[in-house]
Formats: sequence, structure tokens, C-alpha cells
Amino acid sequence: MEEVFRLIFHALIFPGGLFAMIFGLFLMGLDRKLYARLQRRVGPPLHQPFIDVVKLMQKEVLIPRTANQRAFQLAPLIGFAGIMMAVVLIPIAGVYPGLAQSADLLVLLYLLITPALALIIGGSSSSSPFSAVGISREMMLTLFYEIPLLIVLLTVAIKAGHFYTEAATFSLSKITGFQQQTGPLLLDITMLPAFLAFLCCIPGSIGTVPFDIPEAETEIVEGPILEYSGSGLILFKIMGGIKMMVLAALGVTLFFPGSGDGFWLISLAWFLVKCVVLVTVSVTIVRASTGRMRIDQAAKFYLKVPTGLAVVSLLATLYAINGM
Amino acid sequence: MKNALKKIAIQSPWLYRINTGSCNGCDVELATTALIPRFDVERFGCKYCGSPKHADIVLVTGPLTDKMRDKVLHVYHEIPEPKVVVAVGICPISGGVFRDSYAIKEPLDAYIPVDVNVPGCPPRPQAIIDGIVKAVEIWKSKL
Amino acid sequence: MGSYLKTVIQNLLKGPSTDPYPFGKTFEPKGLRGKIRFNSQACVACRTCEHVCAGNAIRIKEAEDKSGLHFVVWHNTCAFCGLCEHYCPTKAIRMTADYHTAHSQAEKYNYVEQGFIKYVPCSCCGKPMIPVAAELLALAYKETANVEFLAQLCERCRPGNRLRKEE
Repeated sequence: MEEVFRLIFHALIFPGGLFAMIFGLFLMGLDRKLYARLQRRVGPPLHQPFIDVVKLMQKEVLIPRTANQRAFQLAPLIGFAGIMMAVVLIPIAGVYPGLAQSADLLVLLYLLITPALALIIGGSSSSSPFSAVGISREMMLTLFYEIPLLIVLLTVAIKAGHFYTEAATFSLSKITGFQQQTGPLLLDITMLPAFLAFLCCIPGSIGTVPFDIPEAETEIVEGPILEYSGSGLILFKIMGGIKMMVLAALGVTLFFPGSGDGFWLISLAWFLVKCVVLVTVSVTIVRASTGRMRIDQAAKFYLKVPTGLAVVSLLATLYAINGM
Repeated sequence: MKNALKKIAIQSPWLYRINTGSCNGCDVELATTALIPRFDVERFGCKYCGSPKHADIVLVTGPLTDKMRDKVLHVYHEIPEPKVVVAVGICPISGGVFRDSYAIKEPLDAYIPVDVNVPGCPPRPQAIIDGIVKAVEIWKSKL
Repeated sequence: MGSYLKTVIQNLLKGPSTDPYPFGKTFEPKGLRGKIRFNSQACVACRTCEHVCAGNAIRIKEAEDKSGLHFVVWHNTCAFCGLCEHYCPTKAIRMTADYHTAHSQAEKYNYVEQGFIKYVPCSCCGKPMIPVAAELLALAYKETANVEFLAQLCERCRPGNRLRKEE
């Protein structure tokens, strides 16, 4: 019985549900504020995304007559549910051990695609030509950033698996444990390219400049989410925030999870700080200093730079383990 | 409770621009108001959104030309309630210097209920900010 | 990206450069053309402003009881081009620096600057006439005439009286 309550607590309050929503929206607010400051503007208050959510709750919900009603209404829920499940899987060192003990990295990889999938379902069911262009771009972009992401995860898995004398370990708690004993992977010179590749994947996955190609406001008027208003839009906005948090948390877990000893509150604060830093570096500063790429430029970039870096890291890891 | 929600909601007016045949002068001023650091409307929680489905405050620039009329009405009806319309520049308000042109049958408020007028050719960014602040007040009473 | 990165970091260190308006004071560039101010004392109803107005914003119309002329500028169609000010011979029209033009829809048709030019009877023939600005007469007659006296005469009586006065 206690086990059930524990699961419900983890799913609804911490780290899933409430905590994820609040922290995700906070990350979005921080991103907007810092973005404004990087452009010498004052910017909105930090709690602006929360205000936006309250505002959107009071707006009328419009559904296009030509849309596939059921798919259109369910799509944001699918994405939201998927990303919420992804949050629960990620362990926080010293605070939360993670939901599953084996192969959760693989499940996470699948769940990370659900927001993109929700965009594709919602966009294609909304019967808007702008959405159609948006989803085709979203599909292409997903293909491009998934390749380096997969190689990075594989590299980390092989590295950690070697420590546990397995071929590869896809357990996030084992990866965390491995780093707590041998030091963070970030300090490992062979893992540095993989870390950079992971940083490159974050903006693509969240869909921010320079990879906001599917939602390009100025050319295809927000693409797949064009037809959403009110509550559907809220779900997509929160989804974006939580995805930001999940990717940051995944990065922290894979590369510098922290020791986890000491008081849990300090561990949690340390984890949050690391997430914020990761988002700042990989999203906000990149967003402020680049312009939007074309989809072919993004393809070239992803297939050259992050994939190249990740492969270098993978080969170096294999070399270190097997000695060629 | 409802009042408290209203008070929170008015801090997030999302702006949507419709160009009904403008010379782009007012559009440049709108872009200036939002984007250049000196007149940052994001301070009030404003955001320019690309889709009419996300908008709260509609900024209309340009005279309502005959060719654009149906399209503008179409987009206007796609904006979810409650919404506030701000006519920016003299053209949507009265036709301005194009008033007696064959391409302009009637000013904007003959077709769309306009709430705030910001005349000027183009208006200064500060005047546009004034207009947005006025529109937010009206929006609050509509929520 | 490198040079932009440098710029954004510099921006972060410099801090925001946003004008505090509408919560604080803002700046006004020199020569700003804002709302029009009309001085009915100086107006001679030459209608040059009405003629040059690009937006057709200026109307000069006789009152129904024929007691004078109504002068109206509707700011909602005024392009603030400044032609009326430029061509006004007596400087009755001035552009102010007031750019706070936002107003609600209810005020749309009242958003005007207006003045009333009251007719005065000619001291010679008694016909109602537009009062003549002393500045304009001084410009026309230089020092050759008693301008205060001529200002009370209509355009018909003025030439003859001017000559008689000089005798």
C-alpha cells in the first residue's frame, strides 16, 4: 500500500506532475527574462509563463470545423502524458532514485519523442496548410537530432556498462552510481565531444532558435500549434517547459549528476542550479546569438557537427575499452 | 476569485498584427515598439504571436482596402474571445490620406468593432504603448 | 555566431537600455510634429491650410447663423505632415510636441482641434467681415498706414480709407 502511495506521490507531486510543471514554467520564464537581458531589454517578469497559463485558461477554445476533432483534442494530452512520464524516469542524485532500475534510458528515448509526435498528430489533424508545412519540418528535424542523441546515449551506456562489466547499461540509476564512484563524465576528455553533441541536440529538441524551423512564427505562423487556442495551447506551452527541464535533467544525469550525499534539500538545489545553467548555455545564449536556419542547413549541421562529435566520442570510448 | 484571475490575466496580453493594406510605416513602428530595447513592450507581458488563435489584442494597420476586407474579417473571426481591437495609424481609423480612394469603401470600424484608436502617420512608439495600455483596460472589462 | 556571442554578453553586462515609459519620463526629439494647436485670433481664414492638407483633415465652414467661421482639424485623419503650419501666413496653426494620441473609440469623432472665427462688422460699411490680424496688415502695408484703424475695415473699404488717412 505504501508503495502505491509512493508511486502516486512521485507521479503527481515530485518529481513528476506539480514539481515538473512549476520548474518547467520557471525555466521558460528564466529563458525569456535572460533572453531580454541579452538584448538589453527589461523583459517580462520571471513568473510570466504562469500568468500566460492563467490567461489562456480564460480564453475561448476554438476548434476548426474541418479538423479531425478527436485527434485534434487528444494530441496535446498524448504529448503531455508522454513527457510527464519521462520526468518520473530521471533520477535526481541524493533525492530521488528514479522509477525503474533497468533500461529506463531506452524508455526515456522513446518518451522524448512524444511531444514531437503530439505536434505531428495535432498539426496534421488541424487541417491547416501552415501546420502541414510545420509537421513535415518537425518530422525531418526529429530525424536529424535523434541520430546524434542516440549515439550520445549509447556512448554513455557503453562507458558505464564497462564499469559494471556489462556490454552497455541503459539504467540511469546505474549511470549515476557509476559517476558517483569515478567522477563526473564531463571531466572525462573522451566524453567531452559527446557532451557538446548533447548540447547541440537540446535546442533542436525543444524547438528554439536556431532550430525553431517547425514553429517559425514569421514564415509559417507557429506551424503545428497554429490552430490551438485556450487549454490545448496551455498543454503545448507547459509541454515545452517540461521538455526543457527533462533534457536539462537528462544532461545533468548523464554527465555531472553530483555526489548525492548530504542533506537532500542541498542536493535538490544543486541539481536545479545545474539544470538552469545547462538551459542557459544551450538554449538562451544560443537563441540570443543566432538566427533561424533553413531546414536543409539544420540537416547539414546535425549530420555534420553533433553526429561527428558523438561518433568521435563513441570511437574513443570503444578504443579505451577494447584497446582496438 | 474571478476578479483575482482577471487581474493576473491582464498581465499577459498577446498581440497580433493585421496589415490591411498598410504602407508598412506603422508596421515598422510596431516592430520597433516590440523589438528594439528602448521600447520593450514585453515588460507588460506582451508577446507578438504569429497565429490569430493565440491573440488577445489585435493591432490593425493600414486602410481597409476593398480586396483585403473579406480576408481581414476572416482572420478577425478566428481570434478567440475576449479580444480588443486597436487601430494603429490614421489609415484604419478614417482612411487617412487615402480616404476618398476607389479602393477604400469604408473605414475599419464599419466592419469590426474598434476599441482604441491611435492616430499618427505613423504614431510614435510611446503612443502605441499608450494605446496598448488603454486596450488592456478595456480587455479587463471584457474578460 | 562568435561576434554575436560577444555582443550578447556585452549586452548582459551593460544592462537594459529600456525607456521607463509609461511608468517614467521619456524623451522628445527636436522638431517632433504632434497635435495641432489653432489660434483663432491670428487666423484670417485664407484657407491655404485647407487646400494643402494631405489628409483632408482641415475644414473651414461658415456657421449656420452666419456669425463666423468654424475651423476644425480632425486628428484622426491628420498625417502630421506640417504643411498647414508651413503655409500658414499668420502662424495661426502651430504643431505642438504632444504625441499622446491614443484615445477610445467613443472619442473618435471628437478628437479634434477647433476654433471659431467670429465676424466683426466693418467700421465703415457695417458688413460682417473676418477680423484681420494686425501682424498681417503690418506685413502688407509696412509703416505706410495706421494699422489699428485699417484692421477694423473690410477689404472693400480698406484701399480708399487707406488713402484718405494718409492725406
